[in-house]
Amino acid sequence: MRQRPERFGAWVRVDDGTLVAVDRTLARALHVEETPLWDDALPEAPSMPLEVHVAVTARCPAGCSGCYQSATRDGDDVPFAELARTLDGLAAMGVFTVAFGGGEPMLRDDLGALATYARSLDLVPVVTTSGIGLTPARARTLGDFAQVNVSHDGVGGGYEAVRGYDGASAADRAARTLLDAGVSVGLNHVLTRQNFAHLAETVRHARALGAREVQVLRYKPAGRAASLEYLARRLTQDQVRALAPALRAIAEEHGEGISIRVDCATVPLLSETLTDAAQLERFGVFGCEAGRHLGAVRRDGSLAGCSFVTREPAPATGTLADRWESAPELERFRASVRERPEPCASCGLRTVCRGGCRIVSEHLTGGFEPDPECPRVVAFAQRTAVTSDGA
Amino acid sequence: MTHDEVQSHILAVRRGPGANCSSIGSAVEMLFLSATAGVAIVAAVSAALRPHDDEEPPAETPPTEAPPAAPSADP
Repeated sequence: MRQRPERFGAWVRVDDGTLVAVDRTLARALHVEETPLWDDALPEAPSMPLEVHVAVTARCPAGCSGCYQSATRDGDDVPFAELARTLDGLAAMGVFTVAFGGGEPMLRDDLGALATYARSLDLVPVVTTSGIGLTPARARTLGDFAQVNVSHDGVGGGYEAVRGYDGASAADRAARTLLDAGVSVGLNHVLTRQNFAHLAETVRHARALGAREVQVLRYKPAGRAASLEYLARRLTQDQVRALAPALRAIAEEHGEGISIRVDCATVPLLSETLTDAAQLERFGVFGCEAGRHLGAVRRDGSLAGCSFVTREPAPATGTLADRWESAPELERFRASVRERPEPCASCGLRTVCRGGCRIVSEHLTGGFEPDPECPRVVAFAQRTAVTSDGA
Repeated sequence: MTHDEVQSHILAVRRGPGANCSSIGSAVEMLFLSATAGVAIVAAVSAALRPHDDEEPPAETPPTEAPPAAPSADP
């Protein structure tokens, strides 16, 4: 079991990649070494991330209209040696999981070797792919990945509605090819106004394929998606209200047959239904994790709070750990969690939601205001407007 | 440390490696299922974590800390 001391005790990774936060008593029982972090008299520094996303290429032939990285056919790969140095740095920071992304990572001939190198550092490597370029021979080189997630934005035309081309069949083929090679597969499902109605059907499809999980992702206005088109693709407020009941029905239909995950940006959209902050915290379900549990290393080696951040990065000098602790861009995220305005300030979910998705917020408000699509924020804005009108 | 004692010292469980490349993900199905689903998950994790009986107990066992409240100390 890999362990990492923390102020509260330690994070411990068990065999299936699950991370468990334990208090100091159990940490000691598990022989976590005594650490100055447990000296409450000492000032607290930012904790290192649990998971870091590493961009390995800007190359992708798919040309998805909503690509958050604006990847192109002639984008550059990051040299293997640079990526190896990044992985060395992340391992030294105590990171548990590295998620390779692009562009299309599958276009790299050395993708399997990257996973093998990450494993040699006791990191858990995972990757997301559209499935483009995946052959049985290539799939057999990916055995060191804990899981490969295939982007699949839905059956019934949902895929095309999100990406601008119909890659659903290619995604299905890729998932089957990976499973035939013995690789664990999940499906990434970007949820939009256009494919929302097919969510339950898509999960059934994923289960029938043999995927072990579906990850539901909020559509975010970054890269090519940072346009007016965003307003036509984001969920309607009616769909936001229907999302939690839809997920409940899916969970009840499948039980343990398939796991349902939501990304950090989706958590605030569930705030009308999932109201027990302690339970959410118990299962590690958090909103914006940028600069805390989550970080991203961009193609130029610079650090960001998450992979959707497009703001000009701080210069990539010093160790990754030093930059993680001191980069102003990361501190901007952390400060925005500490200093929330209403309605987040008095919201019972504040400690888990953490203010919602900053990428959405910055696109719509120009700053890190409360997530304008959170139902609680929408209701607050409506109440405030009524009060103002009344006055 | 008994199974129940181990459970009482677990602050949070984040299931699986989380395979998405762009934003961190959390398993949520247990939040929508019966309470026993969540209990079973914590029980399974505590079984995996339970220190071996033949290992040295910790030199000092202070009272259990409450789950940290301040955002900067959260797991």
